[in-house]
Amino acid sequence: MNAVGIIFSNIYDSALSELTRERTVASLPFAARYRQIDFLLSNMSNSGISQIGIITKYNYRSLMDHLGSCAEWDLNLKNNGLVILAPYATSHSGIYRGKLEALYNSLDFLENVDEDYVILSDSVAICAMDFRKILQEHIDSGCDVTAVVTPYKSNLEKTFPIAVELDGKGNVRDMGVEVGLRDDLGGMGIYIMKREELIKAVKKCSIRGRYHLERDYLLRDFNEGDITIHAHVFRGTALFNFTTMDYYRNSMALLDPDVYHGIFNQRGLTIYTKVRDEVPSYFGENARVDDCIIADGCRLLGTVENSILFRGVKIAESAHVKDCVIMQGCEIAEGAVLEGLILDKDVTVRPYTVLKGTREHPMIIEKGANV
Amino acid sequence: MKFQKKRCVAMLLAGGQGSRLLCLTQNTAKPAVPFGGKYRIIDFPLSNCVNSGIDTVGILTQYQPLELNEYVGNGAPWGLNRNHGGVQILPPYQGFKGSQWYKGTANAIYQNIEFIDRYDPDDVLVLSGDHIYKMDYAAMMAAHKERGADVTIAVRTVPLEEASRFGIMNTKEDGSIYEFEEKPKQPKSTNASMGIYIFRWEVLRRHLIADEENPNSDNDFGKNVIPAMLNEGLKLYAYSFNDYWKDVGTIKSLWEANMDLLGLNPEFDLGGKDRIYARNPALPGARISSIAKTTNSMIAEGCEIDGIVKNSIVSYGCVVAAGAEVENSVLMPEVVIEAGAVVKNAIIGEGTVIGKGAQVGAAQVLKDEADRKITVVGKDHVIEAGKLLQPGEVI
Repeated sequence: MNAVGIIFSNIYDSALSELTRERTVASLPFAARYRQIDFLLSNMSNSGISQIGIITKYNYRSLMDHLGSCAEWDLNLKNNGLVILAPYATSHSGIYRGKLEALYNSLDFLENVDEDYVILSDSVAICAMDFRKILQEHIDSGCDVTAVVTPYKSNLEKTFPIAVELDGKGNVRDMGVEVGLRDDLGGMGIYIMKREELIKAVKKCSIRGRYHLERDYLLRDFNEGDITIHAHVFRGTALFNFTTMDYYRNSMALLDPDVYHGIFNQRGLTIYTKVRDEVPSYFGENARVDDCIIADGCRLLGTVENSILFRGVKIAESAHVKDCVIMQGCEIAEGAVLEGLILDKDVTVRPYTVLKGTREHPMIIEKGANV
Repeated sequence: MKFQKKRCVAMLLAGGQGSRLLCLTQNTAKPAVPFGGKYRIIDFPLSNCVNSGIDTVGILTQYQPLELNEYVGNGAPWGLNRNHGGVQILPPYQGFKGSQWYKGTANAIYQNIEFIDRYDPDDVLVLSGDHIYKMDYAAMMAAHKERGADVTIAVRTVPLEEASRFGIMNTKEDGSIYEFEEKPKQPKSTNASMGIYIFRWEVLRRHLIADEENPNSDNDFGKNVIPAMLNEGLKLYAYSFNDYWKDVGTIKSLWEANMDLLGLNPEFDLGGKDRIYARNPALPGARISSIAKTTNSMIAEGCEIDGIVKNSIVSYGCVVAAGAEVENSVLMPEVVIEAGAVVKNAIIGEGTVIGKGAQVGAAQVLKDEADRKITVVGKDHVIEAGKLLQPGEVI
C-alpha cells in the first residue's frame, strides 16, 4: 500500500490517568487480551501498510515490551517494518506539546520513506478498519486531507478531537475542534494526506510556533481556505476510550455480541496481539460464569458475572465477582466480593475482602496492589 | 560449510500415519492432531526440547505432512527460529542413488545422517511425535553422561498385566539393560520403553549403517537396532520416568488424555513452570453468555458459549449455541454445535458443524467406564440437523 502509518501513543494519557500512570494509552490493556494499539497496528498491517512509525513521549517501556519484534503483526520485515520514534530532544526542542511538534521531531522518518501518503492516527479507536478503501476514497475526493469520522456515541464524556459537518459530496463544510457541532459526526483521530504536504505543513507550523495538529493546522488552514478536507464516514463498530469511564463502559459494551462481532469477526481484519502461551481457561465444577469475556490462562472456581477477565486471572471458590474489569494476573481469594471495579494488572484480593464500586462510578485498584 | 558444534541434536519421528486414530488422521499426520484446547501433539516433544535447552530439532515427516509443515513453519512459536540450529523439517528426498520413503524409524534417521553430521553432536536424542508428557531431557542427558552410557532409554513402570503391550527393558540393579523384549507374552519386568532414546552419535551412526546393509532388517529401533547394540555388548541404560506420560495412539487414549487435563488437581497439569508452546491463533477472549452453563471444562479463546458445557475440552474458536449440550467430549478447534444439539462422549474434529438438534453419542448409558464408547466425527464434516449418531460411531 502506498502509505506509511504514524501512530501517536500518548494522546489522551491524562484523561485516563489512573490507568496510564505507568504506561501509554497505546499499551493500555483492553478487551481481555489486547492492548489498545493492537487494533490500529492490526488494521494497518491487514491493510498492507508495511512501514509504521510509533511516536512516543513518555512511559513507553510497556509499549516497547509489548511490541517486541512485531512478528505478531507480521511487521518483522527485512525492509520497512516498525520504528519507535522516541522523543529526540535537542538544545532547542523540549518534549513536544502536540502532534505537530512530535511530527517535527520525526521529520527524518517522514522524509526518508518512499510512500506518497501518510496515515496519522491516535491509539484510542477500537475497531476493525480497512485503510485501503479509505486511501482510495481520499485520492478520488481530490481533497488535501481526509479525516475518518464516525457518528457520535452519546455516552462519551469527552468530545472527539474534531467534529464535522459535511456537504453533499462528503467533504467537510464546517468543522470544530473538541466541540460538538450541529451535525453528529466526530473525528476518530485518523487522517490521511500526501506525505509531501504533511512535511510542508509540519515545517510551516513549526516556524510559527504552532503545535496542535487539529487546531493549528486542520482547523486554521481549513478556515483560511488553504486546505480542503474530505470525510470518510466509518459506519462499523468503533469504541473510544478517551476517559477512564469510557474505558469501563466500553469494556462492558463488549459483552454485547453485536459489538464483539463488530470488532472481532470482520473478514480479513483479524486483530493480532502478543502471544503469551497460556493454557486454555479452566471452569471449575462449581463455577458460575455468566455474561463474561474470558482470556486464556484463567482458573475460575467461583462466581463471575458481567465481567471482562484478562489472561491468567484466578478466582477462588466462593468468591463473587460482578461488573468488573480484571486485568492480567490478578488473584481473587475465597469469599471475596467484588463489584464495579477495574483491577489493574497483578492485583491480589485477600480472602473475604468486600470491594464495591458501581457501574456509574467504578473503583480502580492500582497495579500490583494487595487489598 | 563448517557448522558450529552442537552437543545434542534431537530427531523427532513424525512420519507415522496413526491409523488407529481413524478419521482424525485421514488427511493429517498424527503429530498435527489437536490436543488440549489449543495444542497439537507435536507441541509436547517440541516444547520439552526447548525447555530442556535443546535448540536443534529435525522433524522427520512422511505421511500427509502438509498441515504439519505449515504448523511448524519456521519454529518461531517454540523459539526454534535460529540462525544456527533451530527446527528443520526432514522429508524423504531423492538422492544420487534414487529416492526412497522412510522404511522404518531407524532408516528415517539413517537417511538424515548428513543433517546430523553437520552439527557434529556428541549425542542424538530420538523422540516420537505421539506422546503427551512434560519431561526434562536435560536430566536424562545428565544420567546418560554420568553413567558413560552408549545408549539411554527412557522407561516407565507399567502394570504387569499391560506389560505385554510394550517393548520391555529387563535391567540389572544398576539400571543397565541386559535384555530387550518387544511385546513379550510372559514379561519379566514392567519397564516399558517410552520410545525416547539418547544415543552416542558415533555409536548410533555405525549401527545405522550396519542396519541398512542388513537386507533382513525392518530398520526399526525397537526391533533391530537396540537388539543389535545389546548383542555387541554396548552400555545400554534405562532411565526411569514416572510422571505423566500418555501414548495417544488410539481414540480412547486420546480422549482420556484430554480428560486428564480437567479437575481441580488434574492428572496432567498443562500450567506451571515448563510451558507448552503452540502456534497461537489470533482470537479474542471467550464469550460466555448469561444462559451458558460451563462446569469442569477447559474453554479456549475465541469460543462463544450459549449452551451447556460439562466435563469437556472446548478448543479455540468453537461455538456452542443456545440449548446445545456438550458433555464428556473433546471439541477440536472451530467446531460449531448448533442449537439444541447434544454431544456426549465424543471427539469432534476441527471445523465440523453439528447441526441443530443432532444427537452425537447421546444415547449412551454408562454402567462401567470400560463400556464407554467414544463417538468420533472427523475434520470439516457437517452433521445434518436432527441426525442421530450412535455411541461409538466413527464418521
